[in-house]
Amino acid sequence: MIKNDLLGIGDTARYIGVSDKTLRRWEKNGKFLPSYKSDGGTRYYSKVKLNLFLNDSVELARAWVVSNTGENITPEQHCEISTVFQARLERMYFDLVRNGDLSKNTVALVTAVVGEVGQNSFDHNLGNWPDISGVFFSYNVEKREVVLADRGQGVLKTLKRTRGELKTDEDALKVAFTEIVSGRAPENRGNGLKFVRKQVQEKFENLIFQSGGTEIMIENDVKDLIISHKEISYSGCFVRIKF
Amino acid sequence: MNIIVNKFGGILTSRKDGKEAYLAMQASLKGIPDDEILNVDFVDVLSLSPSWGDEFITPLKKIYGDRLVLKNTSNSSVAETLELISKIHNLNFNIVN
Repeated sequence: MIKNDLLGIGDTARYIGVSDKTLRRWEKNGKFLPSYKSDGGTRYYSKVKLNLFLNDSVELARAWVVSNTGENITPEQHCEISTVFQARLERMYFDLVRNGDLSKNTVALVTAVVGEVGQNSFDHNLGNWPDISGVFFSYNVEKREVVLADRGQGVLKTLKRTRGELKTDEDALKVAFTEIVSGRAPENRGNGLKFVRKQVQEKFENLIFQSGGTEIMIENDVKDLIISHKEISYSGCFVRIKF
Repeated sequence: MNIIVNKFGGILTSRKDGKEAYLAMQASLKGIPDDEILNVDFVDVLSLSPSWGDEFITPLKKIYGDRLVLKNTSNSSVAETLELISKIHNLNFNIVN
């Protein structure tokens, strides 16, 4: 290994925008290991490996959601306001059409689902962003993958405004994805995720949605939501869509 | 009266934009006679999601009822959005393709 390629844990933490503590936890649970550990226990990380990590949208978005500073993503990936997100969503639509692998009807649905999820972040956090506003938005036409994330208040807190009885992230996510909110509810929001679930179940590959400490997975042709509880809790949301 | 939805954009997914589009229509809708049909045409819409649709279509349906006619809804995102909105609000859309 080339020595110049190695960074200590502090520099590595700054490089990818997480804390030393997070790196130690990732090592403990096998998620991201140091490239080299000295006899004295000093950890070193390869820049090549770090760059691969930074090019992995899923890992990058997950790191962004929990990072202290939120500085580990590029302006190209960060849509600070909804009009920027809208412009990039339109670019995604035309990139998918140009690619030619999907029918225009499927591209229309992918765009509607991504738009619904991304715009939800803006609608639900308007005036209430805890620190950094906006969404992480990245797509890969070849991999047929879209990654979205926000550092907002999360589904439980926003749904509690109209559904005060909700207590857990799991309950909130279940309501968000399964219950039709009546048109007489105090606000109209809250039904878009049912549309998202239906499209994924009928036409996409799968979707992962984490908010708080709960992750739900929706799979093609599988009726029930697959619910799991995560060690790392997100105050906002992380979403990966495969179509 | 005809409303060409595409004039508000090809990709329509934002709730805020749907609301703005509805408000923008108000001046034109003010003087239409009680018996006039309101055609909402989705021709050349590339992608529509329920948040935009709910802010635009639902209030029109509630005001104009059977006089509201939806056209060119074959784009799958348009069809799926209308299906969800009709389910949420228990509405029957008059669709002509």
